[in-house]
Amino acid sequence: MEKKIIEMRGIVKRFFIGSPNEIEVLKGIDLDVYEGEFLAVVGQSGSGKSTLMNIMGTLDRPTEGSYILDGINIGESKDKELSGIRNKKIGFVFQTYNLIAKTDAIKNVEVPMLYAGMGMRERHEKSRELLEMVGMSDRIHHLPEELSGGQKQRVAIARAMANDPSIILADEPTGALDSQTGRMVMDIFHELHEKHGKTIILITHSPELAQECERIITVKDGEIIGERKGGGRNASD
Amino acid sequence: MLLIENIRLALNGLKANKMRALLTMLGIIIGISSVIAIMTVGNSLTVFMNEAYADMGINNIDVMVERRMTEEEMNGQGYYSSGIYKEPTDSDYLSAQIISEYLDKFEGRADYIILQEYVSANSITEGDRYAYINAYGVNYGKLKMDNINLLKGRFFTENEMSGGKMVCIISDYTVDNMYDGDMEQAVGSVLTVPVGDKNYDFTIVGIYEYKQSQFDFNNTSKKDTSTNFYMPVTSAKRINHSENYQYFNVVPVPGTDVNTLVDDTMNFFNTKYYTESSPFDVWAYSMSSYMEEMNTMMNTMTIAISVIAGIALLVGGIGVMNIMLVSITERTREIGTRKALGAPNSSIRIQFIVESIVICIIGGTIGMVLGFGLGALGCKLTQTPVSFSLSSVLISVGFSLAIGVFFGYYPANKAAKLDPIEALRYE
Repeated sequence: MEKKIIEMRGIVKRFFIGSPNEIEVLKGIDLDVYEGEFLAVVGQSGSGKSTLMNIMGTLDRPTEGSYILDGINIGESKDKELSGIRNKKIGFVFQTYNLIAKTDAIKNVEVPMLYAGMGMRERHEKSRELLEMVGMSDRIHHLPEELSGGQKQRVAIARAMANDPSIILADEPTGALDSQTGRMVMDIFHELHEKHGKTIILITHSPELAQECERIITVKDGEIIGERKGGGRNASD
Repeated sequence: MLLIENIRLALNGLKANKMRALLTMLGIIIGISSVIAIMTVGNSLTVFMNEAYADMGINNIDVMVERRMTEEEMNGQGYYSSGIYKEPTDSDYLSAQIISEYLDKFEGRADYIILQEYVSANSITEGDRYAYINAYGVNYGKLKMDNINLLKGRFFTENEMSGGKMVCIISDYTVDNMYDGDMEQAVGSVLTVPVGDKNYDFTIVGIYEYKQSQFDFNNTSKKDTSTNFYMPVTSAKRINHSENYQYFNVVPVPGTDVNTLVDDTMNFFNTKYYTESSPFDVWAYSMSSYMEEMNTMMNTMTIAISVIAGIALLVGGIGVMNIMLVSITERTREIGTRKALGAPNSSIRIQFIVESIVICIIGGTIGMVLGFGLGALGCKLTQTPVSFSLSSVLISVGFSLAIGVFFGYYPANKAAKLDPIEALRYE
């Protein structure tokens, strides 16, 4: 765990700048994430962890501070370049799955590859493999509305893996699932981490899930207030 | 690649909301179909009329010798009865030689000339058989203009044409009436034609096929139909005891500017043979200038109706824009997701512009088919042959495309500029 994949220094994010209700959501975050790490970011709602994730995912820019992702200085990148970074370096997994409606599983997984300019045949093969990896090979032509929550989230994970990203950002991935299916989804993340060596950043408010990760940082009121080692995969059993 | 994917996406979207898609397209369908229908009927009518007038020799130039008009008459200030002024007589007319000189001079612009000399409109009888004829003296030009199709026999020889020989070409109708349709017997037979109080004998050398005029609306029976009886123009001149021509027609070479040819023709005769001192001059004119006016009128009408159709298209386009805005609001989360997955703004913009174009093109195609149907119906009602034009296809495709891009751009741009975080959070 030598190589830093994320290097954040003094990240500040303010909203409503210049207006009377200006608020500082992040108050100078310093954070390093190493390649192949399974990191948990915990904090209560309103702690600023979602804003932190948006900045990590380059969906948002910090007001102050520097952010280097896999050697690229995000602060100096243009919007169009950020699209490319999101496309190739980051895989998002959302709490609400965010699959594209009326589009079957395999086509959903293909979306990031489409924006990467991959050919049709290649897209198709890769998507099939990824869906097989998450155990969805028997439902590749099902529409999102025909899938259960756990199945949708598995498709979403396959989609996050589409362009073989450097990091996977998972925002409360089990938040909308019952504990059993949540367990299954967590197992997939562990597998991605262990077998594929992916860097995974899990944002959650659940201490039990966080405990499964290698390192846990706690965010409160826009600051990192604690950092500790986690128990690993079977810690919560 | 992305384009095909975008089209597929758009079609999927339309399939999911069939009723909405149809209602959105309705404006485009109505607009395009009315444009096509109007163009089809308008075109057919124009083509039909142009063909009919071309048969009548609309481009032909009439040339005639007339009494020179006085200053007052020119200004439309008065009319003096012909008694005061001397009218031209045979010796004042154009000789065959002057006409051939004219033809030489205007070679390349004047294709050929038409000479005809009216002899009589009469019936020829033989026992209880009879046939109505219009007897004319004609030159080769006239036979060409009338598009004579010989069924039997031959045209006049040079010798017959210039020598005033008593030969004739008659219609198959006349043969039916006089020879029970036996053409073998008719060719070589002699027909007696009364002119005034005299009778002239003509040897039949040819039989042509009589074609009913497009404008012949009174249904005369075949037996009582009056058909042309052609003789060499020189023969007619002999019968009429005249020598020169007061009147002839010029058939211009196709593509010649008829109006300049009219002016040049008048100049030719009026500077050389009918100078200022002559009480007569040559007057030339062509129907084509009147024809142009009529075409202009037709065009104005087409434009006026097209403007109305254009308004329908505008309304249709606004409908498309409206539905695109609704669709984008509904799919805010999808747009956010796509951005998170790495879609640049340009891809989002293209996706929605393509969707808008697809709606318009489908609407345009339905409209085009419907418009052709309506146009064909309209042609049937006006009894003109249907003529579909490629330009109307291009116009409908072009218009649909333009509407799609124009009215799709604003919503698509709005979608492209959505903040991904806001969009992802949208409920």
